[in-house]
Amino acid sequence: MTIEKTEKKRIPLKEGLFDIEKGRLTGSKCPQCGQYFFPKRHVCLNCFHRDLEDVDLSTRGKIDTYTISRMVLPGSVMKEAPYGIALVLLPEGAIVQTVLTDCDVESISIGMEVELVIRKVEEDEEGNEVMAYFFRPVKGGSS
Amino acid sequence: MIKKARKLGRGVAIVGAGMSKFGTFRGMSGRDLVVEAFKEMRASVDKGFDPNDIEALYVGNLSSDLFEGQAHTAPIIADWLGMIPKPATRIEDACASSGVALREGIIAIASGLYDIVLVAGVEKMTDLPTERVTDTLAAAADAIYELPAGFTFPGLYAAIATAHMKKYGTKIEHFMKVAIKNHDNGALNPKAQFNSSIRDIMASRMKKAEERGQPVPAWRDEMDFLNDPQANPIIAWPMRLFDCSPITDGAACILLAAEEIAKNFTDNPIYIIGAGQASDVALHQREDLTSITAAKVAAQQAYEMAGVKPQDIQIAEVHDCFTIAEIVATEDLGFFNPGEAPKAVEDGIMARDGAKPINTSGGLKSKGHPVGASGAGQVVEIWSQMRGEAGARQVRGKDITLALTHNVGATGGTCVVHIYERR
Ligand SMILES: [Zn+2]
Repeated sequence: MTIEKTEKKRIPLKEGLFDIEKGRLTGSKCPQCGQYFFPKRHVCLNCFHRDLEDVDLSTRGKIDTYTISRMVLPGSVMKEAPYGIALVLLPEGAIVQTVLTDCDVESISIGMEVELVIRKVEEDEEGNEVMAYFFRPVKGGSS
Repeated sequence: MIKKARKLGRGVAIVGAGMSKFGTFRGMSGRDLVVEAFKEMRASVDKGFDPNDIEALYVGNLSSDLFEGQAHTAPIIADWLGMIPKPATRIEDACASSGVALREGIIAIASGLYDIVLVAGVEKMTDLPTERVTDTLAAAADAIYELPAGFTFPGLYAAIATAHMKKYGTKIEHFMKVAIKNHDNGALNPKAQFNSSIRDIMASRMKKAEERGQPVPAWRDEMDFLNDPQANPIIAWPMRLFDCSPITDGAACILLAAEEIAKNFTDNPIYIIGAGQASDVALHQREDLTSITAAKVAAQQAYEMAGVKPQDIQIAEVHDCFTIAEIVATEDLGFFNPGEAPKAVEDGIMARDGAKPINTSGGLKSKGHPVGASGAGQVVEIWSQMRGEAGARQVRGKDITLALTHNVGATGGTCVVHIYERR
């Protein structure tokens, strides 16, 4: 007889947004015009080409715009307010909507350099670690 | 892509319009609110009409499913209004639902299929606790991508506000001035949820504090009040409480007729001469956050169909779900150049006695924002103003013959624009 071995699995909060093993967000690249997108999509917004390729995106970018939320929305990865929310522009041109973590909300500014963090947000009923993505300020980065 | 000038197959006119009071109504269902709006609409038809002559119903509603636990709401409303077996269709485009329902009603008459159509908008929001209302509204954002990132609607509009401040030097005080103006208008609107100016609100709070023997706040003026973090807390920076529209119950009804029979109902119909609607991608995919492309495209379509320019429009009701949204709307509609709406607010141009009165009803900010009814509610204001029936808030010194409504779904995924003419 065998005992099935169980181990804690790491699973994403939402499928298809990032690769846990690689620690990278998954986006799309248009083979026709070269535009990048996040999250993955089927049709290019720029040239309407239909067969986009999956690509790993850069893990660093700059804040394009932001706000500081004073309330917590059920279903959000943040359980306590206040927290920063930003649109982050990656070097390849894709824009990522994200919660900002590990930072003083008063220090957030447009143009600030931030980096990707993929971290556990909770455990589900089966004991799996549920992972979500965030960005945080780069230490010593420009702000 | 084929580009062609759009036109209606035949003319369409508004021959009656009415609304329920907007506010919090415990014990009333959405369908009851529609009946209230219907009664007022019926009374507004100058020569009267037989409700049995209505051929179809289009209802704008965001989520009776989640707010009231009631799906398939259109035939139920038709039943409540005594319209069975007439066809009844619900239209859902988030907060633009009843603006789009109006458009569908117009198209149905213009096609020749019907001569008389009822358009309704309704939302019964206050049965749920605030967190669940926020949750339900948030379902209109991108559920897979936007929500886990923590973007609530205040958050998304706050991000637009931050971008507008950075690009044009817009100040928090400009947002506050939009709120003060819209409350001043709402104070004169008996249908408004907040039927009081910011000054009224300050006075009543000071009085309450005095009665309770608490320290009376010493606000010098409205700006002082709005800058007080106790009185006006930040929701999502730079949007504070008084930058946000409220949670509201309400309904509105509009009676449409083919142009050739409009005079059977009234000698003073309001003709719909321009209609436009457009869609857009999620906020983060947009090239510029300081404007809403769907609004520009919808406005362009409407102006082209009507053969008029932004400068020709005398008054407008625009979608001010947040104060920044009114600033962006008036720029997208071409009333002001990009970045110049904040100065226009400051100079009083958008005030009721200004050169371009905006949201004389009090807007969603003060009149209330029953999401699925808001677009139809805008039309009720335009109907009253164009016919000189707006009472204390009637725009003076202008013979209003051209007006516009601008109704947005969520953060601009949908925008619908209509242009109205009185002949
Ligand atoms: Zn492309």
